Amino acid sequence: MTRKPTIIEMDLPLVSSLVIACAVGIASGGIGAFIILKRMALVGDALSHVALPGIALALFYAVDPFWGVLIFLLAAAVIVWWLEGRTALPGDALVGLLFTTSLAVGVLAIPNAEIIHSLFGEFSELSLVEFIITTSLALGAAGMVIWFAREFLFRTTTPDLARVHGFGRWFDLLLLLLFALIVSLGIKLVGTLLMGALTIIPASVAKNVAKSMKGFIVASIFLGGFISVTGLFIAETFSFLPGPSIILFGIALFLISLVFPRSVRL
Amino acid sequence: MEEDTILDVRDCAVVLDGQTLLSGVSFEVRKGEALAIIGPNGAGKTLLFKALLGLVPFRGTIAWRPGLRIGYVPQKFPVDKTVPLTIREFFLLKAKRFWFPDQTFLKHLSHELSLVGLSQEVLERPVAELSGGQLQRLLIGWAMVDHPEVMLFDEPTAGIDVGFEETVYHLLQRLQKERNTTILLISHELNIVYRYADQVLCLNRTMLCHGNPHEVLHPQDLATLFGEGGFYKHDKKAHHH
Repeated sequence: MTRKPTIIEMDLPLVSSLVIACAVGIASGGIGAFIILKRMALVGDALSHVALPGIALALFYAVDPFWGVLIFLLAAAVIVWWLEGRTALPGDALVGLLFTTSLAVGVLAIPNAEIIHSLFGEFSELSLVEFIITTSLALGAAGMVIWFAREFLFRTTTPDLARVHGFGRWFDLLLLLLFALIVSLGIKLVGTLLMGALTIIPASVAKNVAKSMKGFIVASIFLGGFISVTGLFIAETFSFLPGPSIILFGIALFLISLVFPRSVRL
Repeated sequence: MEEDTILDVRDCAVVLDGQTLLSGVSFEVRKGEALAIIGPNGAGKTLLFKALLGLVPFRGTIAWRPGLRIGYVPQKFPVDKTVPLTIREFFLLKAKRFWFPDQTFLKHLSHELSLVGLSQEVLERPVAELSGGQLQRLLIGWAMVDHPEVMLFDEPTAGIDVGFEETVYHLLQRLQKERNTTILLISHELNIVYRYADQVLCLNRTMLCHGNPHEVLHPQDLATLFGEGGFYKHDKKAHHH
């Protein structure tokens, strides 16, 4: 069997990694804006842990871990959505239990050698096809977030009024499914432990510098791309792991944004 | 359903967690009519609205004329202080194009704002910064901006200054006259009910009276509805906590 040519062999490793980082960062920033508004930042963090059993299962059957992650996350998104509708249950507690279970199962099931990479991300050899799929899925997801911004915003800020105007809970599900897709894409980049953070950090920085909703979403998208690309660049330069580099660079921007003057807000 | 019937409610009941909170409610509303719903606190008035809007599960039938646009002014509107939503953006939730709205919508917007006594400068301010009275005005303006055929007002004057109270009721009359809007109104104020409503519905977990306010509102009924002590005393209490 002939191997597909990898990006590394094409001698463009850094450029292609940076393109993926940018696309995934943009998508994370976009979806993160709504995840923060929905006060689901930690649910997102927990959601990314569900990826681990998915990775284990994919490794076991020798398929690309991305597909295992994607299936597990989409399923988890549906479960979260369903739990959200059952207000009588303490939703966050159940979500927490479900996902820490996933983490435990995943850590036991994934071979030791793969654990660190699964947790903290790395750029393994990407074929050209994988590169194109990852990049276009990320940009497509970001496009969907922008397209449905009004509906997501309506549902998030005034669920009752949104319902009266015909925007039901299906939009909540769509938001969660997009979130699951973006987290799956980002896990390759920053790993499961830090992917939740990549969706939260750009939006948190954006919130500190925005004075309108549109400014908030646009800034979050821009910052997502900027933080991912710069973080990855730092990682390549100093031979760090990409995940922690991206997150720490984002946190540095967050600290700066805390003293951002009100008068020049977006 | 008859030609000009907009809403037909038959034997509506709301049961939540095994508790019957509302039962035996039947009424009809015709186009352009104003229906006032009165009753003490906890009578299920807001709950009836929520059932009408499909926000809570109910038994019986609630039939709206198909294709109606409905405007809803809720009594409480919890605004998350951390959401950077501006008032313009709040209105854009109702625009077809959120990112690049067309100019006619924005022009229309400032017109509707002036009807509820809000100036255009308020558009760029965050919703979270408005005072209670301004928020109430905003909600009314927001509900009427797309000219709905029916508007549901849940105590539209609760929490606003006395001067604006009159403005609100003049506005209701104008909506009824100029736009032929059908109005469903929850109110504590009996004089308002007498002056503006074509129909009144008295509610206390179940429907106690229904009809023309001058015919059905006898002091005896009000005593049954609000308990001994009468309406106004209760009303005062309701406004002071």
